[in-house]
Amino acid sequence: MKPVRFDYARPADLAAAIALGRRDDVVVKVIAGGQSLGPMLNLRLIQPDLLVDITAIAELKRVEEAADSITIGSCVTHADIEDGHVPDVTCGALRAVASGIAYRAVRNRGTIGGSLVHADPSADWISALTALGASVIIHGAQQERRVPIEGFMAGVFETDLASGELVSGIQIPRLSSAARWGYYKTCRKTGEFAHAIGVYLEDPERSVCRAVIGATGGKPIVFADANALVGAGRSPGALDVKLARDGMTAHGLTDPIDQQIHLAALRRAIARANGS
Amino acid sequence: MTAVSLTINGRTVNAEVEPRTHLADFIRDTQNLTGTHLGCEHGVCGACTVLVDGVPVRSCITFAVTCSGASVTTIEGLDNDDVGAELRAAFSREHALQCGYCTPGMLMSGRDLVLRAQTPDEHGIRVAMSGNLCRCTGYVGIVRAIQSVIAGRRSRGIGPLPGAGRTALGPAGSGHGQSVGTGDVARRAVSVGAGEAAAAVSVQPEQLADWTPQASFDQSFVLHHAIADVWNFFGDTAAVAMCLPGASLSGDTGARHVAGKMRIKVGPIAAEFHGSAEIDRDPATYSGKIDGSGRDQRNNTATRGAIRYRLLAVSENTTKVELNVGYRLTGPLAQFSRSDLVHDIASRLIAVFAQNVEARLGGSEQAAAPAAELNASALFFSVLADLIKARFRRLCRMATGRSGD
Repeated sequence: MKPVRFDYARPADLAAAIALGRRDDVVVKVIAGGQSLGPMLNLRLIQPDLLVDITAIAELKRVEEAADSITIGSCVTHADIEDGHVPDVTCGALRAVASGIAYRAVRNRGTIGGSLVHADPSADWISALTALGASVIIHGAQQERRVPIEGFMAGVFETDLASGELVSGIQIPRLSSAARWGYYKTCRKTGEFAHAIGVYLEDPERSVCRAVIGATGGKPIVFADANALVGAGRSPGALDVKLARDGMTAHGLTDPIDQQIHLAALRRAIARANGS
Repeated sequence: MTAVSLTINGRTVNAEVEPRTHLADFIRDTQNLTGTHLGCEHGVCGACTVLVDGVPVRSCITFAVTCSGASVTTIEGLDNDDVGAELRAAFSREHALQCGYCTPGMLMSGRDLVLRAQTPDEHGIRVAMSGNLCRCTGYVGIVRAIQSVIAGRRSRGIGPLPGAGRTALGPAGSGHGQSVGTGDVARRAVSVGAGEAAAAVSVQPEQLADWTPQASFDQSFVLHHAIADVWNFFGDTAAVAMCLPGASLSGDTGARHVAGKMRIKVGPIAAEFHGSAEIDRDPATYSGKIDGSGRDQRNNTATRGAIRYRLLAVSENTTKVELNVGYRLTGPLAQFSRSDLVHDIASRLIAVFAQNVEARLGGSEQAAAPAAELNASALFFSVLADLIKARFRRLCRMATGRSGD
C-alpha cells in the first residue's frame, strides 16, 4: 500500500508556499503533519503531483498572545497544546480537547490547522473551536483574510479556501475567568473517529452561551444562543430536547437513534460544564 | 528523488529517496532495521511506532523526506536505553507478548508513557496505549508491565517528564531541514486505456440479482411540474444523466440500459467510476429502479448501488420524488470511508440533481450543458448565484411595474 509518485517541496516561507499552491498545471496538495492525509495518500484516495510541506515555515509555528485573544500558528501540534506550550486563555478547554485527539503518536505530528483544513466532520477541533468562537486566518497571494470558523467548513472535506490560499493561524478569543465549558465525544473505540460530539460554552461576562453538536456527517450544528436550549435551570436535565432535535433535523441529521446519541453527548458536555 | 539526511539510532544517514517513501519503508528497506513492523499501513495499528526527536510517531504515515535533519530511534536503538531495558524485563515477567508482532510499537509507546505519566493508573495506561493494537489480545500483560515500570520509577523518585522532554513546537521531525524547491513537475498522465475498456463492459442483470446493500437511505425532493411530465423526463436516460453532476454516458445506452462514467470530487479526493446500470420502470405505479455497478480506475474502489424512485402527485403542478438509495462499496474508499460521509455526499449530489431537473423541466438554458462534477464550493456559489439572480429579477419586475407575476 504505497502512495502514487509525487514530487515534494518544502518552502521556507509563506510566500513560496502560496506560489506553489497557486500552480494550476499540476495537482498540488499542502501537507502539515499528514496524520489524516498520510492514510488517504497510502490508500491512493488522493493522488497529487506535488506535495507542499509547510512545516518548515517558522511563522506557522508561532503563538501570539494578546489581551483579548490568542493566535496559534496552523502548524502547532495537538501535543504542543496538550503539553501546555500554548498559553491557556480558554480555562483549560484547548488543552483538554487536544489531549483527547486520537493517540499520542498522532498528536506529536497532527496540527491544529491541518485538522481544520482537512474538514473531517468527526474531528475534534472543528466542533471545539466553533464553540469557542475562533476565527481562521487565511493567507493568499494578495492579502490576509479572517473567516469566522462557522463559515470556514463547507461540508465533508470541503472548506472556504480558494486555490493558493493557506491557513496560517487560528485566533481564539480569551474567555473570562468565570467561563464554564464542557466537551464530550462518543467513540466506538478510544481515539477513533467520533460518532457524536457535544460542546457547551457559557461565558456570561462576554454574553456568550453557545452549544455545538458535532460529528454530524457534515458541518457542526451551532446553537449560537443556547439560552433557550439549556433553560433557566442550566442543568443537563433541563435541555430542550425538541429544540435540539429540530436543530438536528433542519441540518439533515434525521435518524432518531443518531439524534439520541448526539443529544446524550451534548447533555454530558453541559453536565461537565456544570462540574459534574 | 529527494536528498535526505537524518540520524538513525545515533548514526548519520544520507540518502536519496522517493518522496512517497514513508519512514517505515525507509528504515526497513534501506537501513535493514527490520525491528520496526508494518501492520495496517494507514495509521491505525501502531506497530510501526518509532521515536522521532525523542517522541513517538507513526512511521507508516510519516514520509522520510519530511524528517530531514531529525533524530530517529527505532526499536534497535533502545538496546542501551534505561527505560527500554526496564520495559523488556517487565514484558518478559508479565508475559506481555505472544506472537510479538505489535511488541516494537508497544515498547515505543510504552516508553513514552513511562516518561510522561504522572501515576501508574490502569485506566490512564489503557487510554494512552489505545493506539497500539495487539491481535493476540494480550493487553492485560502489556498494561501490567507498563504499570510496574511506571510504579517502580516513581517510587525511586524519578518524576514524570512533560512532553518526554521535547519543547520545540510543530510536528515531530519538522523544522530541521533546508527548504527543498521544485524543478519542473510534469503532470502525470493518468492511464485512461483501462478505464475506457471497463466502461464498455456491461454488467449482466443476473450478476446484480443477488447482492444486499451495505447501507441505504431515503431522500426526497419536490419538483414544480406535473407528474406526467416528470415521469416522461425520467424515461429520457440521456437527459437524466445530463442533470447528474459529473455523469457522462458512453455509446452503449438505451431505455433499459445505461453505461458511462461518473466523476466525484470531494475535497482532495477525486474518483471516476466507470460502469453500467439496468433500468426498470413501472408506469402503473410511477416507480422505477436503477441497478448498477462501477469501478474507479485510479484507486480500484468498486461500488454497487440500487436507486428506487417513486413519483407522487402533490398537486396538479407539483410532484414529489421519493428515493431509496442502497449501496455497497469495496476497496480503498470503503476501507477509509464512513457511511455518514457517503450519506452527506449523496445528499449534496441529489440536491444538485433536483435543482438541475427543475431547471431543465422549466426549459432553462443554463441546464443545457452537462452538469460538472460535484464540488461543494461550486455548489455553494451556484446556490448563491441563483439567489442573486432571483433578487435581481424581482428588482427588475418592481422597476418595470410587473410585480404581479
